[in-house]
Amino acid sequence: MIEIAYGNDRQVVLRGRLDASQAERAQAFLDQVAPPCVLDLGALEYISSAGLGVLLKTHKRLMATGSGIQLINVNPHINDIFRYSGMDKLFSIVTSPHG
Amino acid sequence: MEQSFKRSVNELQAIVAATGRFFSHSGTAESIRMAVDLAVEELFVNMVTYNLGTDHDILLQMQASPGGVTVSLTDYDVEPFDPSLAPHVDINAPLDQREPNGLGLYLVSKMVDSVHYAYRDRESKVTFVKTVRRADD
Repeated sequence: MIEIAYGNDRQVVLRGRLDASQAERAQAFLDQVAPPCVLDLGALEYISSAGLGVLLKTHKRLMATGSGIQLINVNPHINDIFRYSGMDKLFSIVTSPHG
Repeated sequence: MEQSFKRSVNELQAIVAATGRFFSHSGTAESIRMAVDLAVEELFVNMVTYNLGTDHDILLQMQASPGGVTVSLTDYDVEPFDPSLAPHVDINAPLDQREPNGLGLYLVSKMVDSVHYAYRDRESKVTFVKTVRRADD
């Protein structure tokens, strides 16, 4: 399951697992987010290609307004997925040292 | 461990529970859990999405192997589809040319050690091996 909600400073906090069964719900939330969009992934345990698709679609929408999404507190395992997929070249990513 | 799952992405939660039990009972290193879960999800979702001419459940089998795990997914009464022959994904393409389609099978190829495909009597079986490597520690 994925929990997605606004946290401090209007940052969007994702908690749990962003898989194919949760992508639609996450997309519905992120479709309503206005720029600037900072996603706190510190509590995100897992992401699959379906989750990457959600972030990619949101990033494209917001880039059309001049600023894409920024990902913060990205743990090394999640960051590996971004690197393997080439998404690390598209998003602004701030990693976390915690695994 | 072997368990069958209905052809729905809503089964992913049950699949994760099953892989969790396997890791716990077999003592397989948790460091490879995300890669295994990701490969299982991507292959399962691919079968659910593209093998539309069947309503058979999909069989998941997991077995501890030296330094890791061997995992198979079997889909019944389907046409052949070898995931290793999926179209190439250009991960260096600019944003406006990036699409999530096809990324799942590409990630599988990057995150597991090997992928083997077999097709016989309308049964499509994908097997992958994931072992602990230094980078996983």
